[in-house]
Amino acid sequence: MNILAMILAGGEGRGLGVLTSHRAEAAVPFGGKYRLIDFTLSNCVNSGIYNVGVLTQYQPRSLNDHIAIGKPWDLDRARGGVRLLQPFQRARGQGGTWQEGTADAVRFNFDFIAENNADHVLILAGDHIYKMDYNALLRVHTETDADVTIGVRSVSPFDTHRFGMVTLDSDGSVTQFEEKPKRTRSTTASMGIYAFKRSFLQQWLSGEGLTHHDFGRDVLPALIKNARVFGFNYQGYWADVGTIQAYFEANMALLGETPALDLYDPDWVIHTRSEERPAVYVGANARVDGNLLCDGCRIDGTVTRSVIGPGVYIAPGAVVRDSILMKDTYVGAGALVDRVITDKRVVIGAGAQSGVDGDNTPNQLSPTRLNTGITVIGKRTQIPEKITLGRNVEIFPNLPASVFPKEGVKSGETVTG
Amino acid sequence: MSNVLAIIMAGGAGTRLSVLSEERSKPAVPFAARYRIIDFTLSNCVNSDIYNIAVLTQYRPRSLNDHIGVGKPWDLDRARGGIRLLQPYQARGREQWYGGTADAVYQNVDDMREQRADHVLILSGDHIYKMDYRPMLKFHQEKNADLTVGVMNVPLAETDRFGIMSVNEDMRIRAFFEKPKKRDKGTLASMGIYIFDAHTLAEQLEAESKNHADLDFGKHVIPGMIETMRVYAYPFEGYWVDVGTIQSYWETNLAFLEPTPPLNLDDPSWVIHTKSSERPPVKVGLQGQLHRSMVANGSNIRGRVEHSMLSPGVYVSEGAVVRDSILMNDVWVGPGAVLDKVIVDKGAVIGAGTQLGFGKDNKANELEPDKINTGITVIGKGAHIPANISIGRNVVIVPRADEEAFKPFGDIVPSGATVGVRK
Repeated sequence: MNILAMILAGGEGRGLGVLTSHRAEAAVPFGGKYRLIDFTLSNCVNSGIYNVGVLTQYQPRSLNDHIAIGKPWDLDRARGGVRLLQPFQRARGQGGTWQEGTADAVRFNFDFIAENNADHVLILAGDHIYKMDYNALLRVHTETDADVTIGVRSVSPFDTHRFGMVTLDSDGSVTQFEEKPKRTRSTTASMGIYAFKRSFLQQWLSGEGLTHHDFGRDVLPALIKNARVFGFNYQGYWADVGTIQAYFEANMALLGETPALDLYDPDWVIHTRSEERPAVYVGANARVDGNLLCDGCRIDGTVTRSVIGPGVYIAPGAVVRDSILMKDTYVGAGALVDRVITDKRVVIGAGAQSGVDGDNTPNQLSPTRLNTGITVIGKRTQIPEKITLGRNVEIFPNLPASVFPKEGVKSGETVTG
Repeated sequence: MSNVLAIIMAGGAGTRLSVLSEERSKPAVPFAARYRIIDFTLSNCVNSDIYNIAVLTQYRPRSLNDHIGVGKPWDLDRARGGIRLLQPYQARGREQWYGGTADAVYQNVDDMREQRADHVLILSGDHIYKMDYRPMLKFHQEKNADLTVGVMNVPLAETDRFGIMSVNEDMRIRAFFEKPKKRDKGTLASMGIYIFDAHTLAEQLEAESKNHADLDFGKHVIPGMIETMRVYAYPFEGYWVDVGTIQSYWETNLAFLEPTPPLNLDDPSWVIHTKSSERPPVKVGLQGQLHRSMVANGSNIRGRVEHSMLSPGVYVSEGAVVRDSILMNDVWVGPGAVLDKVIVDKGAVIGAGTQLGFGKDNKANELEPDKINTGITVIGKGAHIPANISIGRNVVIVPRADEEAFKPFGDIVPSGATVGVRK
């Protein structure tokens, strides 16, 4: 059976705010040394699928850099391997617009799919955290002779409005598909993972479904009535980290005694482009209980319950807790960092105090997105020495220390420079 | 730059490293948590823009072959040049192993011709240093030398371990003494780094090999060229160390835990490349404590680690204490175990509650009293140490020793003992 995986990695990930201002959501760092897409890419190769297309559109540079020719995943191959598929200008008369949804993105790349001559096309999202053997899903797909098989899982009744909700018949066929319903009886959600018969996918999207643009929004609801659509129930850990809070929680979940997502399983390695760095260095007076620390970081201060990326430096007297510090963040002497996400190369000046007071005013510009006390600092921004930062603050990337007001930044504010 | 071929001598047995080099050649011995000793020389080559390298192996090459593979980590997997692992081979009329360093090169003179090298840079895979070879090549060409020897000053007390030379004001070598017993020859020592004109090298090896089956650069080739040819010394200033003994191996590793380490390993302009296994970040548990230590990815720390060097995948259980020690890949330390001044090779298992490096008795190892006498206990690869026993200092535990091997000792393995049969 010849399988082609298509990973949708063109999404903007608006919910992640400044973390996706300069990169696609799939390229957002996770768990210290990974990027979100590593989980899906690793699932592919661990499932024996070595023929992968990655569809890009929004800010792809970081993603291109990360995947490149696919060496870390053994996807640098003579046949198959990984291909990064960019949006392109089409011939005259075929329109010249951007891809308007997940299904449209796949339709854009029909010639790629045809070229690969696969029996089935596995459509995956590049921004989910999970470890899944796709062979089980593909087995159900072929055994039921389905046109489409959807990966589904149980979710809490309170979360149904975030997902495509499905209803399964006793034989596993899908009888109903509601995209992000306000109210539903179902607690079975689509994971955004689909196995399609290749011939069916091409015929339908270029025929009946020509005006349909998005799998969740219009393709699947339309298909329920006209095609053999089955569900595959997946039981393991799965997280969609599309919001700052979900992203924060999924990172923090790795710090537990026995995390639901085991990164240490030699039989299911999560591959990534690793930095060539020396081992973690911990100084004589450092305290480092309850953390993930990546190679190349150097800790001379106190760090608790945090995820520390490669090359991060934490100076003597600095305190970091409940935070996520990405690659090469610098925390100056005596600084306090509490419930903060710093993007790469952020500098926190000596003595700066972040998240000190109890004021939990939601972010004024996006109160629904940033309201759980987490402050987010964009890439390469320099936080001045001795400044105070409140909670639910969002700080734009590439800001010099000079743009910050002397009196500090209150909870709920946004610093745009 | 002219066409340079680097030849790295990586066949040495490193016998003074005891069980650490029992199953691997010295260049393949792990170092500074993430590296192997040869990574420094290989990285020096590629950082000096030398992408054509032959590695000569002889003693137990499996580990080295595995590590280097096709040379990906060093960008040495190339269509032209790249890295070649050259094994000893049989030929008609000659079926012996390499007799000496120069003999090893002589037996691979074909490779040198095939690569059409103008200059041959001969290096050792045993040394820890960062060196840009380009200025030395420039020096070699400017002096119009036939041979240039990399040199540095060493302490007078150690001159009997090196080739010692005297030079004139132009740095031309006037005399060369291989490992002189008398300490009156000066302190200018050969680093085992040579640049030859390829043509000259081939000629010299051809001529000298007729007289010496154990052809060696220090003993035969260099002394033979000094009178008649242009032989120069290129001075190197910087950190350079040959981790020849268990004591120096331990000291050199732990020196990297000082606030100012001897070499900056995190220098983006001179990266030390290595084959990294894909591992998750270091996980430090809520009771975990780390002080003055380096810990590589994939490790899990639930106990206390002080002044130690931990390679990828080490697991330190609750209540365990690791002090002044070096733990290589995937060592498992059981709950409540205490390690003091111990070197533990890959994959060894330390049973719960066991004490290693216990007591004040500093009796030298009975089988290797000249090598293991400074209080360091060494555990061979994959050994299984039973739970709740005490093991003294200067103890050697052979690779893959199982619980059976400990039976004759009961609960206490005294200082200086060797557990299992030493090969």
